[in-house]
Amino acid sequence: MKTGVNLPALVVALGAAMAIVQPLQAQTPVKGGSLTYAYHPEPNAMSTIATTAVPVSLIATKIYESLLQWEGAEMRPVPGLAESWTRSEDGKTWTFKLRAGVKWHDGAPFTSEDVKFSIEGIVRPYHARGRAMFGDVEAIETPDATTVSFKLKAPVPYFLKAFQSSETPIMPKHKFQGIDLTQAAAVRGAEVLTRQPVGTGPFKLKEWQRGSHIILERNPDYWREGRPYLDQLILRVLPDGAARAIAMEKGEVDLAPQGALPEAEIQRLSKLAHLEASIAGSEALGPNMWLELNLREPPLSDVRVRQAISMLLDRKRIIDVIWYGYGKPGIGPIVSSDPNHFNKALKPYAYDPRKAAELLDQAGYKRGSDGVRFKITQHMVPYGESWTRLGEYVKQELGKQGIAVETKSTDLAGWLKAIYTDWDFHMTSTFQHNYADPSIGVARAYLSENIKRGGTAMNSMAYKNPRVDQLFALAARELDPVKRKAQFDEVQQIIHDEQPVIYLVEMQWVHLWNKRVNGLITNGVSMYSGWDGVWKAR
Amino acid sequence: MSRLTFFALRIAQAVPAILAIATLNFLLLHLAPGDAADIIVASSGHGSPELVAELRRSYGLDQPLHVQFLVYVGRLLSLDLGTSLVFNRPVIELIGERLGATLIVMLTAIGLAVLIGLVLGIVAALRHRGWLDAFVSVAALIVYATPQFWLGLMLIVFFSITLDLFPSGGMRTIGVELGPLASVLDVARHLILPATTLGLFYVAVYTRLMRTSMLDIMTLDYIKTARAKGLSELRIAFTHAARNALLPVVTLMGVQIGHLLGGSILVETVFGWPGLGRLVLDALLQRDLVLLLGILFVSSVVVVVTNLLVDLLYGILDPRLAS
Repeated sequence: MKTGVNLPALVVALGAAMAIVQPLQAQTPVKGGSLTYAYHPEPNAMSTIATTAVPVSLIATKIYESLLQWEGAEMRPVPGLAESWTRSEDGKTWTFKLRAGVKWHDGAPFTSEDVKFSIEGIVRPYHARGRAMFGDVEAIETPDATTVSFKLKAPVPYFLKAFQSSETPIMPKHKFQGIDLTQAAAVRGAEVLTRQPVGTGPFKLKEWQRGSHIILERNPDYWREGRPYLDQLILRVLPDGAARAIAMEKGEVDLAPQGALPEAEIQRLSKLAHLEASIAGSEALGPNMWLELNLREPPLSDVRVRQAISMLLDRKRIIDVIWYGYGKPGIGPIVSSDPNHFNKALKPYAYDPRKAAELLDQAGYKRGSDGVRFKITQHMVPYGESWTRLGEYVKQELGKQGIAVETKSTDLAGWLKAIYTDWDFHMTSTFQHNYADPSIGVARAYLSENIKRGGTAMNSMAYKNPRVDQLFALAARELDPVKRKAQFDEVQQIIHDEQPVIYLVEMQWVHLWNKRVNGLITNGVSMYSGWDGVWKAR
Repeated sequence: MSRLTFFALRIAQAVPAILAIATLNFLLLHLAPGDAADIIVASSGHGSPELVAELRRSYGLDQPLHVQFLVYVGRLLSLDLGTSLVFNRPVIELIGERLGATLIVMLTAIGLAVLIGLVLGIVAALRHRGWLDAFVSVAALIVYATPQFWLGLMLIVFFSITLDLFPSGGMRTIGVELGPLASVLDVARHLILPATTLGLFYVAVYTRLMRTSMLDIMTLDYIKTARAKGLSELRIAFTHAARNALLPVVTLMGVQIGHLLGGSILVETVFGWPGLGRLVLDALLQRDLVLLLGILFVSSVVVVVTNLLVDLLYGILDPRLAS
């Protein structure tokens, strides 16, 4: 009798075992190592209080934290600096129980006083969305070192959503001693904002070689046991898009987060075996691209003209040709990646030049002897090459139907002044983020009270509809999610019909990383999260 | 006139020149619409008119132009370049962090360019109408006409990606601790491609200039005398002719320092070199006029001082000029 080992069977069994073991190993986080990401421009501050521009948000959210952390694309709140939280029956009091024993990077203890100070002294007056998020806060009470209680004038349904690290970073009160908090320049010049950040986050600043790189190192005292996995996080400032692509290709850089690479390069690089591109991870930002119109005078004051222009632009073509396939046709004020608030009944305006021509005729803008219906100007938004191509496409398509478009180019400062201060424009392409909640990120552009000079991303169109004002006001106070959804549904329908701006594309931020990197995509603001769970295979 | 009075006079001319440049810079930059307060708020994607107004007030941007100008001049006279609107740090610090990197790449580039340009120019002149002359002249013309950013990218593709000889960007290897000697070598390795990119154009310029200048001089009487004395052609070229042929090259070097600063913006962008050039562009795009004026002031001082040094060099090369 033969009792030897059946070799082929053993090989198969071993192979099967390996196949099971292999992915398991791949899932076990590796400790140590460093992750390098490339971006440009260089951050001009270390805190999102100064600006929430992408380069600053990317780095500051690893150093500074908020009370809550967020999970999943739909953004479920989970404990962060706060271990638990409760809302009073009337919705006017929120109480947070803070984690005990948390230390600032300089060793000082983190307490409820820091939270109160951060919101009253820093975030509300100086963060770009501070007034939108905390304008209704009447008082902040700190009965003990680990309890903070917010008293609101009226219920705020989106209150919790403010507690993201880029939106409401908690700052160390002791580092603002001697700084005149009534002076924007003094606050913005504070050491912890400009060069020596002191946060509670998983990483702390180790080295900043201006113009070259920033090195963050592991915070050994981070409150989450065993985290972060990475020893170092390195930002390399590479000013040239082609150079950033080369660095990804060569493996010198592990990650190119949102907007770091030109779309053409992403398409090329995502085909390489060692790289992976992803549109997941930025759902909660909700960038919405549109043509902003000045409704103060004819012909753009006529809704038929606006609808006609909307039908003259082929959204699929814009996405495929200009944005290399990244994006979805724009529909309305709330993007479809926000399932809690998006009105699913709405569809994008279909490309239909014939119907557009009819509408223009009806509105009284028939073609003249030279074939021209009317002339308007278009400001080219100075956001780079793709946006210039978009402007050229708009000019070309509208021209075909007798709308003569004259383009104007300026730099960013000149563009902002023309659109938001002088209102000296007819039409311009731009985009705005939906942010955490429509009451914060969407309403601002359509409220008639925001027809004010100065500021940015205000109601530059001079769009005025009392029902829209009323619905946004109701939704900003409505605690019942079902009723609130109905209010948003109605407002989206009105705005979709009236087209105060012409929705073009729901943009998608693309992130490209080396496949050795794991755990990056965790929620709808993944690039603005702390990355304590990110690790790199050896 | 003694050499000392010659320089005293030159410096006396330089101060009003710098002040005039500073004034012109201020006025030109304030002609453009919009300001940093708008940009700061817009970079956050959103901002109320109240926040913009508060920033404008706090940074003094709401003051009338003549008041802002007086503040600017007052600061300049006390050698204070102010605080950057966007970085919120003293401008002098921001410049200090970057100036070194720019000077390293500029001086290496110009040094190599002069050295190589002079030798090639002299060689081409000596072999006038020979194949070597033709080759050097054509090569110089091609390099002269090549756009710098393209050249930079091509050097990266060839030497960094294909051959993997040099890093594709940056000034040092990040995240490793190196000893003093190893650090210098590390910077040198990073410096080769950007300095070559920036310098090649000037090699072409100096080669052509030196060649022409040498050809002119080689026909002068004193060269004939030297030949009559029986000196070797090489000795005549390097000891008798070259010194006089240098004058136009030195003149051009002085003039080109400003040009070189401009070129470094491109090269610093392509190679991610952490110099002043990048800072200029960032400041310009974000309308950080305090920073921009500071950098322009420092650059104008660098240019004026370089030209002073060129004048000094002139006096040494040709003592007749100083008297």
